[in-house]
Amino acid sequence: MDTKLGHPRRGICLYSYHNLLGKSMTLEDAFLEMYDTGASCFEFLTSYIPNYPNPTPEWIDKYWRLCDKYKLQPSELGHWAENHLHRGPGMTDDDVVEELKQDFRLANLLGFKALRTKITCTNVLCDPEPGWQSYIEKALPYAEKYDVRMQNEVHLPTTLHTPHIKDEYLDFIHRTKTEHFGFNIDFGTFQYRAAKGMEDMPMCHFEDITKPEEIVDFLPYSYACHAKFTYVNENFVEETIPYPEVIKLMIDNGWSGDLLSEYEGAIRFFAEEGPAQFGQAMVEIPEQVRRHQIMLRNILGY
Amino acid sequence: MVEFQTIQQRGFHNTYDENGEIDGFEFRFVPKYYKGYWFTQCRFGNVTVDGEVFDRDSLIFEYDGIEYTREEMFDLNKYWQFREPLIYKIKKKGGLSIGYHDVSLQFGWVLNYNGSLEAEPDGSGLGNMAHMFGVDHQRKMLLCR
Repeated sequence: MDTKLGHPRRGICLYSYHNLLGKSMTLEDAFLEMYDTGASCFEFLTSYIPNYPNPTPEWIDKYWRLCDKYKLQPSELGHWAENHLHRGPGMTDDDVVEELKQDFRLANLLGFKALRTKITCTNVLCDPEPGWQSYIEKALPYAEKYDVRMQNEVHLPTTLHTPHIKDEYLDFIHRTKTEHFGFNIDFGTFQYRAAKGMEDMPMCHFEDITKPEEIVDFLPYSYACHAKFTYVNENFVEETIPYPEVIKLMIDNGWSGDLLSEYEGAIRFFAEEGPAQFGQAMVEIPEQVRRHQIMLRNILGY
Repeated sequence: MVEFQTIQQRGFHNTYDENGEIDGFEFRFVPKYYKGYWFTQCRFGNVTVDGEVFDRDSLIFEYDGIEYTREEMFDLNKYWQFREPLIYKIKKKGGLSIGYHDVSLQFGWVLNYNGSLEAEPDGSGLGNMAHMFGVDHQRKMLLCR
């Protein structure tokens, strides 16, 4: 095992600002916000590429100018391996592979080495629809060609010991020996209680969560993680997720991937309900991301 | 930039036929979801204005300058860009009166994320994401022309 200490980068998921994007915040506003926090990298979504899946050369130039101006590097591109885009039975493997290739090319064009690849799920635990191995395996040579790593997101209520993680995803990695498929471990999987204001929300079940030490075995297959949070207090502490403990394990085990702040507070569900709620979102969302970045800086020391 | 509400007041007005007579009204809709959709993933429901129901199959949707019916959307290989309004065009002789109107609609989508697959594989339902994000949208809007 590599015992050299890791040096993760601090980054931000543009998703955190989604309630505001295109309403009170332009893409450049979001880059300025991220710059202010001292983050050095970011997660983008395919949906935030104007004219997706065919961005104009002018937009691509603008994108790189923003990265340069605000000193931010591309980390991860969130995309979807959709195989039910049409009525009736699912799509063929070849159709899904074409869809994936299209996003791999875009990721490569925009400088992303990691992908958050969402595979079709069939229940709240995100058990994958049977047959996913077939199209993902066919896509591996293209992931290699375009130098991208598909990452399955391990998202609450999924844990690192949910059976499909080991029995299907890890088994797939070991069988194919691929370096182009792995895990985005969302820190929500370590959350042990509901955040302030979210106690009554239906997704709040914490009977079975991932223990911090479980992350160690998965670090070799992870390139970027969603540093999920729902509330950071004024002392820059996330009160529901054991951040210091998990990050220490990552560093001690040599992990040098990207920690991407992903805000999912309660406001995201009701920001559009009225002027007061939207006003609250305009203040709360950027402030929470800033607090979270200060928290990460305090833990990492940079 | 669009308004923060899903049903947009900007763009809400009566429409006119070739003879200059009011033949209906239109408004714009922007989903609040964090991402865009392929139109084939979208499931459009009815529109209700002041209690009058306009069936989903009587609606005309305009996107990027081209008009479609709900049925045509199922085969439309086009991506509904994030924060790009879709225009709802509704035929109603004489249109709506000047003043306030209660506008509501149902909209859902198919995305295979943290839930079961679409229960209505023929597309007749409102998709499979209602458990997380609901399907109902309403707004009181002021019509001036």
